Amino acid sequence: MSVLIDENTRLIVQGITGREGTFHTEQMLSYGTKVVAGVTPGKGGQEVLGVPVFNTVREAVETTNANATVIFVPAKYTAESAYEAMDAGLKLIVTIAEHVPVHDMMGVYHMARKKGCRVIGPNSFGVISPGKAKAGFMAHRIFSAGDIGIMSRSATNCYETVFMMTNKGIGQSTCIGIGGDMIAGSAFVDMLPLFEADPETKAIVLIGEIGGSEEELAADYIKNHATKPVVALIAGKNAPKGRSMGHAGAIVSADGTGSAENKETKLKEAGVHIAESTLQIVEILGNLL
Amino acid sequence: MDLMEYKARELFERYEIPVMKGVVIEDVSSLQEKTSGLAFPLVVKAQVQTGGRGKAGGVKTADGPGELNEAAGSIMGMNIKGYTVKKLLLVEKAEIEKECYLSITLDRMTKMPMIIFSTSGGVDIEETARITPEKVLKYAVDPLVGVRDYTARYLLSKSGLDMSLLGLFFDLLKKLYGMFCEYDCMLAEINPLAISRDNRLIALDGKVSVDDSALYRQPDILAFRDSLQEEELVLEARKFNFLYIPCDAEGHIAVMSNGSGMIMSCIDLISKQGMKVRAGLDLGGGATADRIKEAIRIVLSNEETKALFINIFGGITRCDEVAGGVKLAVESMPGNKLVIVRFEGTNKEKGLQILSEIKGNVVYVNGLQDGVRELYERREQM
Repeated sequence: MSVLIDENTRLIVQGITGREGTFHTEQMLSYGTKVVAGVTPGKGGQEVLGVPVFNTVREAVETTNANATVIFVPAKYTAESAYEAMDAGLKLIVTIAEHVPVHDMMGVYHMARKKGCRVIGPNSFGVISPGKAKAGFMAHRIFSAGDIGIMSRSATNCYETVFMMTNKGIGQSTCIGIGGDMIAGSAFVDMLPLFEADPETKAIVLIGEIGGSEEELAADYIKNHATKPVVALIAGKNAPKGRSMGHAGAIVSADGTGSAENKETKLKEAGVHIAESTLQIVEILGNLL
Repeated sequence: MDLMEYKARELFERYEIPVMKGVVIEDVSSLQEKTSGLAFPLVVKAQVQTGGRGKAGGVKTADGPGELNEAAGSIMGMNIKGYTVKKLLLVEKAEIEKECYLSITLDRMTKMPMIIFSTSGGVDIEETARITPEKVLKYAVDPLVGVRDYTARYLLSKSGLDMSLLGLFFDLLKKLYGMFCEYDCMLAEINPLAISRDNRLIALDGKVSVDDSALYRQPDILAFRDSLQEEELVLEARKFNFLYIPCDAEGHIAVMSNGSGMIMSCIDLISKQGMKVRAGLDLGGGATADRIKEAIRIVLSNEETKALFINIFGGITRCDEVAGGVKLAVESMPGNKLVIVRFEGTNKEKGLQILSEIKGNVVYVNGLQDGVRELYERREQM
């Protein structure tokens, strides 16, 4: 098994006719993902790589019975596309774009909770269940099927970790790009129960960073509910103070909320193995297995 | 993106949030003329892109023209934490009964706009929250509901202030919330919020922060950002859609990557070895040879930057493009600075071939750890 997506996922690509949308549709298809429809307003009736294109998500869902979407439209249209997907009844919505306005995401976040939808991202590489399917832009050749569940706020730190894992023969059940923004559609704490319930996932890797309180919330959950080992890395210990990094969410607030020290302390108390580097994540996993 | 007080005040005025009468000057020679319509005493306030101006002597009161000249003259041009004062805000001094605190911030925990209200204003709210948490009221606004009459009633009632202020307070709260939403604010703060002797609510000082990702739809804030004094390399990098992040002014190493997470990891590992990073550069997506070349040029144009660690690990990054960019940059640049390169992606062999042909101080490493080790071994050269 795996979480969120697998070989039975019927995926829509919103923005399929765009340069990025088309390129990554090709990648997703070649990986074996069932991309059943694309959506681009005004391009309904066309085909991209053999995938039918619709004017609206609703038509795509009605015709193809799709059950998930990945949104490859520019940041300024991302919220609008997410609303359209939620309104069409889709329950899994993967958003990729960087620089989505936070107020836009705030609206999407609360609507998703009300409608019972899962939104992943934005500012995320997407989701991949190695060997089964992927919804996003990650370089799939570095991933390998296995029993480690990964969730990461950073794409590059996740790639680095996965690359070394795969080289050592440690595979992954599902890798989730939580995203680097201030408001993520889904947080670590939303994903933990999925990994906990997935019989194929034997251990969980959490790649966090400075800013916000999501790692602390995850620690609370782990302390009270998790039975599987968790390895965590918190990036940004030495990031310049008060300066926003490329990740809008990676900033420690004036009252000290979001510091790496606090996150590591809370996670340690919850029994999580703390890694100092991506390399160390892999070493710890090696010892656990 | 933090706004200076005068810019925050402009927004307040646009939303008819009451402020004291005042003017902004950029040149002390226009002092007389510009302040002719204002009544003494006046407060002279430095406008700088940093906090702590009060402690630095950037705020003074003037009771008459003589004092005004003196105050304005001494503050204009003053250096506050590395920022030169180029603008002054001159406002009439309010007759204050009480100073409160009111802000709306985007709360990461609830993912909602959070109203923070306190009857202890004029001081740092974090300090108030630490010492007397009972004096800090918080109210998360469901964005699907917004600010309502009962929101204001709740806050006022809990605060212990006279309920006769409700009409004014609700009106103020609605305006501030409207501004918060329409201007894509991360923070809209009035501190102090004065209750005047004649029972009016007046915003005496303001701090507003706007979401960088929303600047494309906030043209006047974008114009404000472009008017700021910033490090030359930050601006130069912005032209190419790179993010240049100044770190430790004592460092001589720069790191470059295609993702913020990797930059943070590099800084963490280099710092752990006791070395200091001067700057980071986030390339974003699309690592073509031309872009890589420009990025290297920008980073190494800082004389104090003696070594660069490029670490690129992308989904679809072409290593030959990266190597080509390194070649273009290194061969056209004087100084023979150390460039350590690490990449993973497609066409890696071709990339390595190109790197090996470069005439210059270029080293390829096979991973993040190896790169940090290489920097450590060559630390004497920096």
